[in-house]
Amino acid sequence: MSKSWMYVGLTCLFELFWVYGFNVASIWWHWVVIVGIIIVDFYFLSKACEKLPTGTVYAVFAAVGTAGAALMDVLLFDAAFTIHKVFFILLIIIGVVNLKLADNKSEGEVG
Amino acid sequence: MGWFLVFLAAVSEIVGVVGLKMYSTQKKNVGNTLLFVGGFGCAFALLYASFQFLQLSIAYAVWIGMGTAGGVLVNMIYFGESRNMRRIISVLIIVAGVTGLKAVSA
Repeated sequence: MSKSWMYVGLTCLFELFWVYGFNVASIWWHWVVIVGIIIVDFYFLSKACEKLPTGTVYAVFAAVGTAGAALMDVLLFDAAFTIHKVFFILLIIIGVVNLKLADNKSEGEVG
Repeated sequence: MGWFLVFLAAVSEIVGVVGLKMYSTQKKNVGNTLLFVGGFGCAFALLYASFQFLQLSIAYAVWIGMGTAGGVLVNMIYFGESRNMRRIISVLIIVAGVTGLKAVSA
């Protein structure tokens, strides 16, 4: 796993932290912490894009954020886990894995 | 009005992705930082405003689908990122998954 993909992992992890923050924030200083997390998150996002194609990084970022938020709602906030959600989460995973494999093959072609 | 706001939010998101590209790979100057941070900032503000007119899950689904697909397309067309078929199909699958998931999450 390259250093750039480590940044992709970090930006996705911090994205899940602030999505969680949005769900639980209740007093003003919570929002100060959340803004801090978002700044760190966007720093990792920009580091990931230095070497990898921005389109790839952003698609993975959106995918993990959406799937993660849906799972968080089910696991922590009592949302229903439906067959439709399972289907779309699987679809997202298939897309992300294929995108990563596609970029491994074309590495070097992209500036 | 609601859909107009969602559309503007998606355009702002694409501006943010362009800023992200230029900030990461070109110069970390004030202009690129503003495009990057301002684009995403406006995108969230406009999306939030659209929730007054539209159901949250539907507005979010359309926004993230348009923004993600647009962000990838802009990078392919204007910044020369790879256009191989597997990459395009993978992004389409992600957009379908993300949009669908948001649409079914009330």
